[in-house]
Amino acid sequence: MHEETLGSGIYLPEIHDTVFNRAEDAHRFEFNGSARDYFRIWIVNVALSIVTLGIYSAWASVRTRRYMYANTLFEGSPFEYLARPIPILRGRLIAAALFATYIMASHFSRTLQLVTMGVIGVFMPWMIVKGLMFRARYSAWRGLHFRFIADYGGAYQWYLLVYMLMAIPLALSGLLAQGGHPFTGMVLFLAGFFLFYPWLKGNQQQWMAEHHYFGGKSFRFTREPSAYYRIYGAALGIGVLCMIPSGILMGLMFNAMVKSHIDPRQHSIPVLLATYLCIAPTYLIMWTYVHVRMTNALYNQASLGRYQFESSLRFWPMLYIYLGNVLAIIFTIGLAIPWAKIQVARYRASCLQVAGEGRLEEFTQRTSGADVAATGTEIDSLLGFDIGL
Amino acid sequence: MSVPGIYHDGMTTRVTRVVISRVDDSLQWRGADVAGEAALSSVMPSARVIGVPFTLLLPDGAQLQIAHDDMPPDWFARSHRIEKAVDRLERMRSIAWVSVVVTVLALIALFEYVLPWTADRIAYHLPHRLEVAMGQQSLAVLRGRVFLTTTLPAERRQHLQALFDQFAHGIPDLPPVNIVFYSAPMVGANAFALPDGTVVFTDDLVKALPDDRSFLAVAAHELGHQAHHHILREVLRSSGAVVVFGMLTGDVTSLGGMTAAIPAFLLGNHYSRDFEADADSFAFQTLAAHGIDPAAFVDAMRALEKVHPELAADKQVRYLSSHPVTAQRIAKAEAASMAFRQRHAVAR
Repeated sequence: MHEETLGSGIYLPEIHDTVFNRAEDAHRFEFNGSARDYFRIWIVNVALSIVTLGIYSAWASVRTRRYMYANTLFEGSPFEYLARPIPILRGRLIAAALFATYIMASHFSRTLQLVTMGVIGVFMPWMIVKGLMFRARYSAWRGLHFRFIADYGGAYQWYLLVYMLMAIPLALSGLLAQGGHPFTGMVLFLAGFFLFYPWLKGNQQQWMAEHHYFGGKSFRFTREPSAYYRIYGAALGIGVLCMIPSGILMGLMFNAMVKSHIDPRQHSIPVLLATYLCIAPTYLIMWTYVHVRMTNALYNQASLGRYQFESSLRFWPMLYIYLGNVLAIIFTIGLAIPWAKIQVARYRASCLQVAGEGRLEEFTQRTSGADVAATGTEIDSLLGFDIGL
Repeated sequence: MSVPGIYHDGMTTRVTRVVISRVDDSLQWRGADVAGEAALSSVMPSARVIGVPFTLLLPDGAQLQIAHDDMPPDWFARSHRIEKAVDRLERMRSIAWVSVVVTVLALIALFEYVLPWTADRIAYHLPHRLEVAMGQQSLAVLRGRVFLTTTLPAERRQHLQALFDQFAHGIPDLPPVNIVFYSAPMVGANAFALPDGTVVFTDDLVKALPDDRSFLAVAAHELGHQAHHHILREVLRSSGAVVVFGMLTGDVTSLGGMTAAIPAFLLGNHYSRDFEADADSFAFQTLAAHGIDPAAFVDAMRALEKVHPELAADKQVRYLSSHPVTAQRIAKAEAASMAFRQRHAVAR
């Protein structure tokens, strides 16, 4: 979800939910990128990346990100992307090697695959911290860069240990199923999951927001736990509602297959594609809903100094944009990707603002901060770990 | 020459409007309450990108920002040479269309030639131990679930075993091979080559084949997979396709990654079709070398069609299938058979 979660791939500072309607205190974000310019930059860089067997891709992503950052303005000043290509290239090569090992391991031995999975799992929190540090370090506004404080303990707590808590309802439901109550076990597991997951997501957001700094100030986060239960509860409801039409569609499809004596094993690919078509809309709707509400939750509960952020993304416009993007990308075999990214970035910027009296000039920074390696950020973007920014 | 710009001191978020000018080899800026000067060579400019403002990093950590269109071209003529060339390409409309064509051609070349070639080179340098491990891994997964104990009579198995061993013995450059029989009602009549040299025949297939020669024809096809290390090569090729697609699209688990899985899957099928055709021609040659008419292969295909009627040619879509269409395979076998008979007629 990395690219999509980031929208434009832009690092935007986090935010707080208060009603500030006085226009003079609202500081706006705007996005001025044009699909035409971005397409030209993108296509040349894609071609060069492929021709150089991926080596140039590090330079390419710096150029495309610089375009997106520079066209995102806050209070009239553009953001800046400062990363150098070489560390990104190094990170990308390591990520590719890890990924290739994982893919290959599945063919050679189950043990090797489990070991690779375990190693990636154990290092994931570390990589998340590194990735966040990298992104913050090389994102700047008005000459000051962001910072992410390395808190490995917190990362292991919220991105590894808490998932082990999930083992408790899982084991309980397993025991119940063994004891002849599979239904009770299932209900117990689902209940445990729905008690646990929103709580976990809320804590992850808080951890991430509070370790970001800008201009000597830390982002603050006032977490309202019930908000996350509302989000995931509604998402579940939407999912169930969507399941009805897609279930009917699938039923019709299989019925037609049985009637015309088509063996699904002989036509595995068309059958796979048709199934995909039935499920994809549900996935897109649920994902968009969670994405919109979680982004709003993140920004609306966060603040920096006396400035409070407001995000007002709405579900229907966002779904409309994503649907249009998906269709455009499919029908242009990928050529619409730059256009799609611009659409998302523009809408997201238009929904974000900062409220608070002041001219945003009091942020100061003394040390410039050491360089950060790009390995973490490349691995987490390859594995698409959802860090929810 | 002077241009408007913005000064950031690098320590606060204060914005100061300045006028920047170049005097010989130094840069000067002047604003409401700031003024300064730095040697042009000590200033680090950012590279040129369409529409992106230039940031000039000053030696003391402060920076100047100049709007993209305001930057005089001769101020930093010698910095970022490669990026300047790329920038020039990005500005040309014709280059955008050239890039589309280059991208398509490069992708075809990459997946049609570069990736298979690289994967094959790697495959030939990997130790045989790996193939053995792979074969045992897949057998361990299948045995007891898909592959059940054979119900063929012992003498029938011994007969085929001896036939197979004798046939394989006469083939040069073959890795160690062995044949096993399993009852596999889930797969029906089929044969498999496992990477460790094991050739699996299902009971249904043995029962469906009309004679020993057609049995050897199927065996020869599977031995073709063994002789040319098809399984390892295919695994490397399709894993390579997944990795390359993953890297190209940037991530592997999201919506984008899911759509990337489809072309990777189709590519895997494309590679395996090539290997099947290769195993077929290996089979024709080997049969002929053993003095068996490749028409035996046609008999085997026809027998298979009888137990798997859905294999009949017209129901298959070529690009979506992992095996070449049956009619095509039969046609090729018949051509091989014709050549075989002509050669023997001449010899006689």
